[in-house]
Amino acid sequence: MSPVPDFFSPSWAESVRAALTAGPSEQARAAKLQEYWDFFELIKSMYPASWALGCRDLPDLGSTAYLFVQWDGGTVTGCRIIGPDEPLEATYVLGMDYRDWKALHEGYDAQRTVMYRKIVLEDGDLLEFFKAIYFFVESLAVIGSVPAVYPQTLRSVAPAR
Amino acid sequence: MAERKSPTAVLREGPRALSDDQVREIEDSALAEVLQVDIDDVIEYVHKDLKSLPDFTTLYRKYLKQRWDVYDLDFTQDKVDWQEKMTEEERQSFIAVASGFHHGERQVEIELPVFMIGASEEEKLHIAAQIEDEARHTVFFDRFYREVVGLKGDDIMAVLDASFPWVSETFVAPFGLLAYQADELRLHPYDERARVRYGTNYFLWIEGVLALSVMKVTLSYARWRGFLPAYYTGFTATCRDESRHVQGGMRYLQDAVRKDPTMINEIHDTLRTILSVSGVVSRRIYYEPLGWTDDEVRALFFLQLRRKLNDVGIGLSPDLEELLQRVQPVLAGG
Repeated sequence: MSPVPDFFSPSWAESVRAALTAGPSEQARAAKLQEYWDFFELIKSMYPASWALGCRDLPDLGSTAYLFVQWDGGTVTGCRIIGPDEPLEATYVLGMDYRDWKALHEGYDAQRTVMYRKIVLEDGDLLEFFKAIYFFVESLAVIGSVPAVYPQTLRSVAPAR
Repeated sequence: MAERKSPTAVLREGPRALSDDQVREIEDSALAEVLQVDIDDVIEYVHKDLKSLPDFTTLYRKYLKQRWDVYDLDFTQDKVDWQEKMTEEERQSFIAVASGFHHGERQVEIELPVFMIGASEEEKLHIAAQIEDEARHTVFFDRFYREVVGLKGDDIMAVLDASFPWVSETFVAPFGLLAYQADELRLHPYDERARVRYGTNYFLWIEGVLALSVMKVTLSYARWRGFLPAYYTGFTATCRDESRHVQGGMRYLQDAVRKDPTMINEIHDTLRTILSVSGVVSRRIYYEPLGWTDDEVRALFFLQLRRKLNDVGIGLSPDLEELLQRVQPVLAGG
């Protein structure tokens, strides 16, 4: 049995790639109408964009690192960690605090993560981004569910709201 | 609430003419008298001034006359109706529709302040009043969910957490977009194009279309059945508040397009995004227990959108017309 990867490590990114390719769980699919998932699959099949999903205040690093995800033809063609010194090139750049990534992993709702601006769009065309918002939200939930070791922080963490 | 007209009767009757007496009744009713006001008249009142939109100072003065105290409402009879008279099917349908508003009011309350920065001084007065309205509407739903539905929570967010399971996944499209548009305005408060895109989502779509539809569905049910008098009173007063918001928002969009006709492109681009994600639902809401069919809700939804666009003079491009045909109502609002 493989060890659980560290959050925002290369092996975690590899697990994220596999999880995104597999898509939402049967449990998640059962809770929503098939027409919603048909729309999700339609968007996924033609989505040509990339995301750089930032984690601010990553413990041990102390700065922002990004998970880069490239979509093409319905599959993830690139999924890796971009460090603070590497160039950041993605269709959409988004950022979220470490504590909110941890809350997402612990079950905080992905829709509210967007609505409550836990994750924000830092760069990219807003109206184009929202044409695929259900695909993004469901994918964010998938990423949050990937097993990982989340380091403890020294600072107290306020309850996620 | 003597009249027991079918909730959907207005769809067959079409737009109604309001007499001066009816307008006075809507405008001047104190909170206790709002129970007697017909919700269809209030929705008609929303549209009354859309062709010759009032200025922001007039809207602010109306606010000063029409503001009401949300703590004056007594939900005692509503609780009896909810627990003893309404069927389980009615309760589930009602809460499925109303929860979009419970969360929607909170969203529009907190996303509006940044829009004020780039506004004219007169419009700032109107927006400040609107923020207070939205906060009051948030408290209204908090009280309804605690005192009538029986949800528990130590604070407002805890009650929102408790009602969130009824919120549809498609809620994120208009309200998540609004949050991100507010962020855009926070960074660029004087970007007029960003303001028009924000205004299209907030004032035209969320308030002008979504909110008025959900108001109509639950309020006409309450009036038809003679149930939930405090809900009817508070939410009809909310609808009267919304008339000022929609009129102010349409005034802003109309002025922006008159000043710079290319702004219509920002309105169209925003509608293109909204409509392209509005052709799908994630869960089925059963409207029948509230006296509506899916097709009637859809007709109501289109009626609200068409009237706003026509009255304000916003035309749609052919691709938007095509997208519009595929739209499914999301019953939420703010």
